[in-house]
Amino acid sequence: MARMEATARPLRIGHLYPDLMNIYGDLGNVIALRNRAAWRNIPVEVVELGEGSWDAREVDIFFIGGGQDLDQSRMYLDLLGKRSQLVSAVTSGAAILAVCGGYQLLGHAYSDAHGKVLEGIGLIDGTTTAGEGRWIGNVVVEAGEALGLGPVPLAGFENHGGNTWLGSGVAPLGRVLVGGGNNGVDGTEGAVQGNVIGTYLHGSFLPRNPRVADWLLAAGLRHRDKAWIGPLADLDDTVELAAQRSAVAIAMAEKGRKAVARA
Amino acid sequence: MGGPGAGLRLGRLPRVWLRRHGNGYFGRVHRDGLASVIVGPAVIAQNSLRTVAAVAAGKAAGAASRLLGRGGGTTIPGDVARAIDPGINRAISGGLRRGCVVVTGTNGKTTTAGLITAICRQAGISVVSNSSGANLAFGVTAALLADCTLSGVPVSEMGVFEVDELAFPGVVAELEPSCAVVLNFLRDQLDRSGELNSTAAAVGRGISRLGKQTRLVVNCDDPSVVALVPEGVAAVTFGVDARSVMSASLPRVADARFCPRCQRRMEFSGVVLAHCGDYHCPGCGFVRPQAQVSAALVDADVDQMDVTLGDGLHLQCQIGGVYNVYNVLAAVAACRQLGVPDDVIATALHDFVPVFGRQEQFLLDGKQFRFFLAKNPTGMDEVFRTTIESGIYHNYLLALNDGIADGRDVSWIWDVDFERLASSAPDLVVVSGSRAMDLALRLKYAGIRSGTVLVEPDPEKAMAVSCQRAQDDRIAVIPTYTAMLSLRQVVERRGAVGRYWAAPAAKGVPLPGNTPDAAVTAAPGEQPIPGGKVHG
Repeated sequence: MARMEATARPLRIGHLYPDLMNIYGDLGNVIALRNRAAWRNIPVEVVELGEGSWDAREVDIFFIGGGQDLDQSRMYLDLLGKRSQLVSAVTSGAAILAVCGGYQLLGHAYSDAHGKVLEGIGLIDGTTTAGEGRWIGNVVVEAGEALGLGPVPLAGFENHGGNTWLGSGVAPLGRVLVGGGNNGVDGTEGAVQGNVIGTYLHGSFLPRNPRVADWLLAAGLRHRDKAWIGPLADLDDTVELAAQRSAVAIAMAEKGRKAVARA
Repeated sequence: MGGPGAGLRLGRLPRVWLRRHGNGYFGRVHRDGLASVIVGPAVIAQNSLRTVAAVAAGKAAGAASRLLGRGGGTTIPGDVARAIDPGINRAISGGLRRGCVVVTGTNGKTTTAGLITAICRQAGISVVSNSSGANLAFGVTAALLADCTLSGVPVSEMGVFEVDELAFPGVVAELEPSCAVVLNFLRDQLDRSGELNSTAAAVGRGISRLGKQTRLVVNCDDPSVVALVPEGVAAVTFGVDARSVMSASLPRVADARFCPRCQRRMEFSGVVLAHCGDYHCPGCGFVRPQAQVSAALVDADVDQMDVTLGDGLHLQCQIGGVYNVYNVLAAVAACRQLGVPDDVIATALHDFVPVFGRQEQFLLDGKQFRFFLAKNPTGMDEVFRTTIESGIYHNYLLALNDGIADGRDVSWIWDVDFERLASSAPDLVVVSGSRAMDLALRLKYAGIRSGTVLVEPDPEKAMAVSCQRAQDDRIAVIPTYTAMLSLRQVVERRGAVGRYWAAPAAKGVPLPGNTPDAAVTAAPGEQPIPGGKVHG
């Protein structure tokens, strides 16, 4: 395996706007992808894709996080200018994880509190509308069918004012057990469309939910090498799953307490 | 929200009572009517009867609360008194003969206020201060109440208050301070305070309310602080000029990368910490102002520092870490404005003992535990910088809670440079707190040597296992706020420290109840919080 890997280029992770879209500790997603490749002896490199020109063709997995309003407005036009690059990368099989603000930007549009509509990249069949308040708190999601992982729990923390509404061309990442999720109304959280995943979960998301990290790595490896059929070598995820269980337990206990408080 | 706990419920009682019964009585007195109240021999106060009633009720509530063992002596009196007289801070602080100093900013408020207090006392000035860390308006009220006579006249000559950034505009309007110190703006508890820009904007609103006579003291190394100084206002600046403590590039968690005037990317010729350093904008010419109180030479270790100012004043302190250099500079700048002579400042700094959880040291079972409170990525990065560069710490106890006062979202640990800790190859890292597993996970991904990490969520057991397993006699304890309270209680129970104050109060937020556990378990709203800002 090591010999085979030596001939291929490294698996490439493209971190979009790392110094602008980084407000909620989402760097952990990049750290998780990089380490889980490296631990399997898969050569891996992280490239930073900021403002200005870059080439998306040899990027296998993109990551974009959320930013502060000011920073997000700063990168918005730059990102729109990269739309065709990103769309052709995804068409060729590259994967994307988009969290929070990044997730919203990958949809068709975001309409703010004043009714102003900001066009999105359109890689996720969904739109986001400004809500009355903010969803802030721990979230537990039961993974849906789109990732093929079975009904496993996913744990994270959400902090968003926008409500996202999915269209018919996209599946939710999962069903909300605790928290608001996409909009607090339809019980969905996140989105999966082809190799593109959007979610509101911080935590960071991938370290606590290693199966999703591996799903993205597999997609990235397939993009790098069309002949790759896997599977990924198993890793010891004792610590990851213990952290996930702990996060789920904390969130569930809060939900229980709140139910008692309301009664 | 998690709902008001015992502390607030106690506070609400008089408010309701007042609404039902009080207005009829107080209604007969003109709201601002002056009453002369004689207390003791012949102290005559020119405070309204409403203020006097508020003082009495607040003091009584504090005493009752302490008698009942409910603690909260730092929150309840303020809450009760403010229910009766919302103008109480203005009324009492107006009697401070030497006015007051307020300190705000993300990191260093408690230490800076502590330093200013110590220097003023050294100068023979009596000081009232919210040293227990309750830094919202009611925390200031509680401190003023504890200090004043029954007629609302301060016993002390001067006030020194640390003030939460979001509470700053309101508190400033109430206190009309003679000096306001702004330290820094760093990412911190985003689930509570929202964006960094809105935090800075809140302080900006406060600055615009300052009177002409107020001296504004600012950290000129932080561009987001400098951006708040209004045109035409001559602020007193402090900053670090010592190149030896600067690095060449911005760290991960730097926030103010762009020019606050023209939004171009700024250039940093040196970075002290986070986005604090020597910056300039290549576009509009926005540039770091010269530091009037400047650290020209810095030699900072883990438990002491030598600082030589640009004007030659030499300072020695028993607090360490480059991050504390800023707190020392801020205190020197403020105290010079107050007219304290340099030799008094130097003496006070030399004798200063670290405050509550900030580099405090305890001896327990033959081990030296030193506490380094760390509440946000920059704080924790700087603590690791201090402990690792010292070369003397190889054993760590890290404690992460997700209480309201800590921030419910622990994602920020992924912004911390734990890779640096892993590279230093520590012998032992015990992880504790309600989010101990998240720390264990972060350390795994930082590449820590296997077998180094021990998970023990319980504070008492975490202290015990640290004692047993540490391979030398020094242990660096790095906790978040409520985790610090829990661990410190363990130390107290073991008799290694005297009780600090009647009960711990939260930083910035009213804690339900008086125990750290209450802070940990109080749940935030699962529902959207109305009026929140839309982003992200």
